Amino acid sequence: MKSTLQLALVLTSISMALAAPIGIYQHGTVVRMRMGDCMLMHRGFMNQFGPPQAAAVEESCPEYTLVTDKVVFLIVGKSSNQLVPLAEVIDFRLVNKELAVRMDDARKESKFAIKEMTLRSEWERIQKHIEDRLNDSSHQAVDTSMALRNRE
Amino acid sequence: MFAHWQIRSALLALSVLTSVLACTAAADDTNGSSGLTTYRSTVSEVRVTFFATDESNHPLASLTKSDFAVVDNERVVRNFRSFTHSNETSLDVVALVDLSESVAPRLRAAMSDMLQLVAQEQSIPNDNISVLSFGGTLGGTVGGASSSFRPAVLCTSGCRAPDSMSKLLAMKSGGTTPLFDALIFAADFISQHRHAGGRGDARPVLILFSDGYDTISLHSAREALQAVLDEGALIYSVDMGKPENQSSNEPWGNQASGSMFLRRVSDATGGRYFFFSLGSSRPDGAASVLNAVIEDLRASYVVTYDLPSHQPGFHSLRLLPTHNLKLTFHSRTGYDYEPSGH
Repeated sequence: MKSTLQLALVLTSISMALAAPIGIYQHGTVVRMRMGDCMLMHRGFMNQFGPPQAAAVEESCPEYTLVTDKVVFLIVGKSSNQLVPLAEVIDFRLVNKELAVRMDDARKESKFAIKEMTLRSEWERIQKHIEDRLNDSSHQAVDTSMALRNRE
Repeated sequence: MFAHWQIRSALLALSVLTSVLACTAAADDTNGSSGLTTYRSTVSEVRVTFFATDESNHPLASLTKSDFAVVDNERVVRNFRSFTHSNETSLDVVALVDLSESVAPRLRAAMSDMLQLVAQEQSIPNDNISVLSFGGTLGGTVGGASSSFRPAVLCTSGCRAPDSMSKLLAMKSGGTTPLFDALIFAADFISQHRHAGGRGDARPVLILFSDGYDTISLHSAREALQAVLDEGALIYSVDMGKPENQSSNEPWGNQASGSMFLRRVSDATGGRYFFFSLGSSRPDGAASVLNAVIEDLRASYVVTYDLPSHQPGFHSLRLLPTHNLKLTFHSRTGYDYEPSGH
């Protein structure tokens, strides 16, 4: 009886430990992605002032704009092939100044450095300003090259 | 005398009547003679042909539009206008063979594979297979030329004929490598070939046998790539460099610049990179490359979406998975957008 109770207790603890992170995930949507430099990953005295490293110069890292309800994160991968699944909604949490993204259908996370954090209202205001300027400069758009097709 | 309420009612009725008449008149104007209202607007649509491969590098036959997103000039696009299987059903294959000195040790094996490619693949019409070469020296009497490193047409629309086969076997390696010029030559050839034979619905595919090094071209690598992109051709490169220099599965690992160039032009056009092996198994011979080309064609999709940004110039393009990060999507890596009137 005692051993059965102990087993049940252990199993309950394990299941709670595994389920724990799920409840604390926040949700967001990646709206932009670009390949940028990896310098954020290589900061440090020796990397900044030491001899140049060929690998660091060559490599580019993915940079994502992650929009949540109130905050917009600019996150950077640690290598060129560290990808975020571009689903409509992704789950993430903040861990030790990093942003851990939950990989779909897996109990693993992928950690990204946080490059910038902006209030969503402020970010939207800036985006609108950029859009307006772009629209002013090139309003009409028709008859493009081979990859584009016009429709009436 | 009319009462005040009577005047108000009359004015109200008059106002309603005027409004109805005005609306009717406007509708008549809009309807015109056909009786249908026509709204006109111009919408720019981006159209991307692509295929996906799994972690084993095999093309995926079944794919849904929720499996991927498009990153167009940094913007993530998930709302698509359409998503269908590609209607391209045939191939226009141009094999471009590097005959320069640097690939000499592997030339004979490459030629053997080339013959295999030409002879065995009956699903491609004879008219849709051509072989071009660059560098090297001509051991035979192709086109009456005695010796030249310039790109040349070895055979077109009849490469399965015995005399064409013998020409291919007579090729000797040596000399310099005008790789970039040869790619431009091949792009021009594809354009002429397409217009001459009405092969508009055939997918142009350039199978490039080379080590990726250029030594003497007049044109740059960028110009060469642009010429191929302009023709909408896919480059399937077969790396004939030394095995220690060939690219591994690591996309940008330690590899020679020639291999890197081959991988980059393949990726940029939406094609694939293979390495050429002299070993007994020889997994990436010409025949298997051609099989891959055919499989990719059958597993190709077309997605269309609204142009997300009207910024003129080059728009970078990338397809990425939404769930399964082991999937790789192959498409051209960008397009030029020029608004009308520019």
